[in-house]
Amino acid sequence: MEHADLAAAAGSVSLLSLFMQAGLIVKLVMLGLMGASVWTWAIVIDKYMSFTKAKRQFDQFEQVFWSGQSLEELYRTLAERQNTGLAAIFVAAMREWKKSFERGARSPIGLQMRIDRAMDVTIAREGEVFEARLGSLATIGSAGPFIGLFGTVVGIMTSFQAIAGSKSTNLAVVAPGIAEALLATAIGLVAAIPAVMAYNKFMGDAGKLSARMEGFADEFSAILSRQIDEKLQPRQAAQ
Amino acid sequence: MKTSLGTSLVLHTLVLTWALFSLSAPAALNVADVEALPVDIVPVESITQIQQGDKKAPLAEKAAPTPTKRPDIVEHAENAGDNDVDLKNPPTPVKKPVQTETAAAPEKAEKPLPKPTPETNKVKDVVPEETAPKPQEVAALPQPKPEPTPPTPEPTPKPDAKPAEQQAEEIPLPDSVPVPAARPRPELPKPAEAKPEEKPEPKKTETAKAAEKTPDKKVADKKQETAKSASSKQSDFNADEIASLLNKQDAAGGGAKRSAQPAALGGKKTTSGSSLSQSEMDALKGQIQNNWSVIAGIEGAQGMVITVTMKLDESGAIIGRPQVSTTGGSESARRMLEGSALRAVMRSSPFKNLPADKYDSWSEVVVNFDPSELL
Repeated sequence: MEHADLAAAAGSVSLLSLFMQAGLIVKLVMLGLMGASVWTWAIVIDKYMSFTKAKRQFDQFEQVFWSGQSLEELYRTLAERQNTGLAAIFVAAMREWKKSFERGARSPIGLQMRIDRAMDVTIAREGEVFEARLGSLATIGSAGPFIGLFGTVVGIMTSFQAIAGSKSTNLAVVAPGIAEALLATAIGLVAAIPAVMAYNKFMGDAGKLSARMEGFADEFSAILSRQIDEKLQPRQAAQ
Repeated sequence: MKTSLGTSLVLHTLVLTWALFSLSAPAALNVADVEALPVDIVPVESITQIQQGDKKAPLAEKAAPTPTKRPDIVEHAENAGDNDVDLKNPPTPVKKPVQTETAAAPEKAEKPLPKPTPETNKVKDVVPEETAPKPQEVAALPQPKPEPTPPTPEPTPKPDAKPAEQQAEEIPLPDSVPVPAARPRPELPKPAEAKPEEKPEPKKTETAKAAEKTPDKKVADKKQETAKSASSKQSDFNADEIASLLNKQDAAGGGAKRSAQPAALGGKKTTSGSSLSQSEMDALKGQIQNNWSVIAGIEGAQGMVITVTMKLDESGAIIGRPQVSTTGGSESARRMLEGSALRAVMRSSPFKNLPADKYDSWSEVVVNFDPSELL
């Protein structure tokens, strides 16, 4: 940076001029952090919407499931749709049940195990969907301040070099360079703070949803196991 | 995800535009113009060690009182001034000459001269008729006076008149002086003197010598003048006037120390306060320390202070035996270090590089040592 530039810019400390004055590295850091902030908020909005939607679906499904409706009928209506969450678990379990039972399974234990496996796989898949992109929130939250600090350090270094060149320690010459450098840290914090908060909240929510799915899977497994026992015993007796 | 990304972007742009307008120009800090306070470090010597000088003169390198006028030098004078004797009081300002003497004399001379013509006529008319026989007897003073002048206090003129008469007798004035006789006013003693003497005369003059008046006057004037001078010498005796006559010198007080330098700021008098400077003291200490054979490994010398008090003559040699005292530390260490300090001081005896002009301050020196510096 030339002395003349520094002197000319000494007066203006507006946000845009601070950004424009900054060196290339600092500019890149700031732009990257701005992108991170945009991404963070995109994830936050997305997750918020998907989690509320998932909760609503869970509630609706549980209501239907425990309404005393025939599971066969429920399976028939759900099998045709793209299911998520509890419905997906239910459909997976029912599909496995149907396949095994209709083909005439011999061992009730084997059938039980297969159904459990199918449900576990579905839970894992659904849980993955819930926790998708939360990792990037964690990364932004932890690394954002450091990236901003890096930008600040580089900016202060360059501005001190410029001050050394200008041979003036006047505060009006020193201040804009430092303010510009500090802007990088500010942007880093702006990106990181919501990211950390959102990460903690959504990890908790995802954990709750997973636990709910686990609980449903266990309950449904118990129901199916009872059914297996009831349906296989007459068959074995007939043989 | 796309919708949420879009929403996030829109939100960010909104926030950024708001920030650009609201945070772009923070109000500049209003820094009050505070002028720096000048701080002078004033050495205490300016109070404790004052050189004589002029209080109103500008500051100069060396303080000096107002220059004196007399060149002759008085020995051992300490206070600046033009006096013969060294006095401590400040010189008094020159007074204007007292003019009482010169003013008094003309009054007496002028008054008798202009008045005679109008008054004499009146008196002449009255006096010859009534008092014709009286003057012949003798100069009977009291009687003629009351008649022409009623308000005058009589007692005052009488005593004055007598000496005046005596004077007149000594100098043969009264016989021939015609003019002052006219005076009716006895306010001043001198005119009163004249009257009685003159009164007999007018009778003579009127009757016999009317034409002789003019020549007589001249003679009388001359004689009056002499009379005046004579009378004034005696009657106007005033000690102050004589003193003022005698006092032909300007200086009335002040010291006798002459000063030729231009006046510079200083105190009323010189206060003795010259002391050894820190470096001079250090040099003195260094001379002692060089002769100090250090005893290594003394225990208990912590916090000990050795104080050496010695008297020096002008060559720097020690007079008598220096006194060494120690405080702090252990008993044995004190005894050892007292001895070594005394030996060191005696060995370094004629001290060198002491400023001769400050002998007053180092004629008796107290030096403090911290042995922990030496060990």
